[in-house]
Amino acid sequence: MVQGQREAAVAAIDLPMKRLQPAGPLMRRLGQSLAILPAYQSATVLADAPPAFTEVGLRYSRYSEDSLERDKRIFGSEDRYDIDITQLWIEAPVGASWSVALDMQNDYQSGASPWFVGAQADSEPGVIMSGASIQDNRVEVGITTRYFWADGNAGFAISHSNEDDYEATALSFDASWNSVDNSRTWSSSFSSSHDSVRPTQGVIPVFIESDELDTQSVYFGVSQILSKTAVARIGLNYTYSEGYLSDPYKLMDERPNTHERLALSLGYRRFFIDFDASLQADYRYYADSWGTDSHAIELGWAQNLSRGLLTPYLRYYTQRQADFFDVIADTTKAYHADDYRLSSYGAVTLGARWSLALSDQWTLELEAERYETSRGWGLYSGEEAPALVDFWRGTIALIWRFE
Amino acid sequence: MGGPALLVIDSAPRAQHSVASILDQVVELLASLESRFSRYRPESLISQINQRAGSGDYTELDTEAHGLFELAGQLWTESGGLFDITSGPLRHAWDFRAGGKAAVENIRQALELVGFGRIEWRGTTCHLPQAGMEVDLGGIAKEYAVDRTAALLRGAGVTSGLVELAGDVAVIGAQGDETPWSIGIQDPHGPNSLCSVSLVDAALATSGNYARTLAYNGKKYGHLLDPRSGWPVSGPDSVSVIDAHCLTAGAVATVACLKHQDQAVDWLRDSQLPWLLCNAGMRPVGPIAGALSASVGGSQ
Repeated sequence: MVQGQREAAVAAIDLPMKRLQPAGPLMRRLGQSLAILPAYQSATVLADAPPAFTEVGLRYSRYSEDSLERDKRIFGSEDRYDIDITQLWIEAPVGASWSVALDMQNDYQSGASPWFVGAQADSEPGVIMSGASIQDNRVEVGITTRYFWADGNAGFAISHSNEDDYEATALSFDASWNSVDNSRTWSSSFSSSHDSVRPTQGVIPVFIESDELDTQSVYFGVSQILSKTAVARIGLNYTYSEGYLSDPYKLMDERPNTHERLALSLGYRRFFIDFDASLQADYRYYADSWGTDSHAIELGWAQNLSRGLLTPYLRYYTQRQADFFDVIADTTKAYHADDYRLSSYGAVTLGARWSLALSDQWTLELEAERYETSRGWGLYSGEEAPALVDFWRGTIALIWRFE
Repeated sequence: MGGPALLVIDSAPRAQHSVASILDQVVELLASLESRFSRYRPESLISQINQRAGSGDYTELDTEAHGLFELAGQLWTESGGLFDITSGPLRHAWDFRAGGKAAVENIRQALELVGFGRIEWRGTTCHLPQAGMEVDLGGIAKEYAVDRTAALLRGAGVTSGLVELAGDVAVIGAQGDETPWSIGIQDPHGPNSLCSVSLVDAALATSGNYARTLAYNGKKYGHLLDPRSGWPVSGPDSVSVIDAHCLTAGAVATVACLKHQDQAVDWLRDSQLPWLLCNAGMRPVGPIAGALSASVGGSQ
């Protein structure tokens, strides 16, 4: 964990250059003893040098929401969103100090989403779904350049995304520094984006033709090596948005035109030599100017296997509803919304990631997770939004690294 | 450290200091390591620990020394007790310089003073419980010095360089012309190189049983002793290992030389590192051996 990257290239005469394999269990155990010695704490040149190889990756993800329960639906499609996400990325070193990355993503969404929540005959709230299935394709392209020096690195990225009804352009800048003994890393980032929304007039009436919003975000964090087997980190993020922040596809949705968000995150990683595995623990607290706050905790166990890494994980999330949220939106208030994403609820995710080295150059990654929400699992009071969603997500990725 | 040193700096585009000043820093570093870890220096940390054996006085280990002792302990465990930095008394019993003629009683007495597990610890201070016990970091200090020197060079902005201390090598980057460093592996049975390996940001360490030998009852033995039995091991003549660091490569090679051939091969396979094992009367084996051309192999 605290070892320098195994960047050695080895060849004997007549054989092509090969990389050293990632450290086997014996060498990992021996490496633990060395972690406190200055000569081995992620060698400065390697820790902040561009990747030694070019990486090309292709990832496909399918996100599929469960159908809406019959007794929660008043009208409209019971099928909810399915999204197919395809990502292609290339990252390559350029010279001795730079790297460049290109990221492309295509999301294909189909399905229906809640239009508004009304009262059913038995006065229980129910969802009126948007009628026919929406089909929408979003394409996003981003470029990042990164510069490395002995004690750190800095990156600059620009991205643009486009779909029928939404367009966004974002810039970001990030930098990180290592302390002299490499036991501490400071990181920071700043980003700014400009979005414009042109809702599609169609199946459901929308009331704006076009509008815009701007977002700026700042992050600051520190990561500290605690011992030869443990690392901890803390980070703080502040985001400010201004502009049109409501959901144009919801009948009764009027949100303030500013939104401030603060998030505190803590992370801890501990490697257990005897198990050849790491415990990963993360906690995040979030609070915003709309009255929502939330806690998220995730635990994972990254188990080294003979040729790969298997990480099952469990995540718990609980959120307090926004000030202006009501299960059935109260249109007499200046700000009102019935979007289930602003309600009080708790959610549990159970998933696993498996990263498998197929050869020196090729890696396969698989991930699957199940997410379920319920007002009853949350710590905060509030009425349960009928449109709370449960979903499956599966991902497969193939990564090729070469010189 | 008792051996020749070679330092090559090929390219240091971002160096903050002059090459001469870098060399001065290296000399200072090596002198400092020697004065702390050499058992031949009476004022060294190692000598202090040895002098206090059996006295009840604990010696404080700084972070670096503690790390090296930790590694020694890890190797002692992983090798099943074969790698043992407390085996000094056994060596004296065999008295190699005098040609090696150990009386069996001497070996038995010496064994009482050997055993890494006997070292007593209080936090980061240690103590040898019996007078006559000794620790000696000879099996790892030299390789560690290579790695420290390489780290110093890297920190000073060297992007292409080579460090060699008495046969153990670490290279920084590739050569100035971007071709890998070509490092020869000595033939244990002859004066020539067996083969060359191409290294970039890697280290090569060789451990061998062939440099010094002793004769006992008309039989020839290598100088490596099994600290559990007291007798010389019949291990391979030499083992070379490549890893990102010299210390880990050297540790793996040294333990391999303490084992019988088959067990040495299993051990080397477990390390998942490139290795080469040489024994008299057979062709060299190991992943590196794939490179040996037929003509070189026939030079024996």
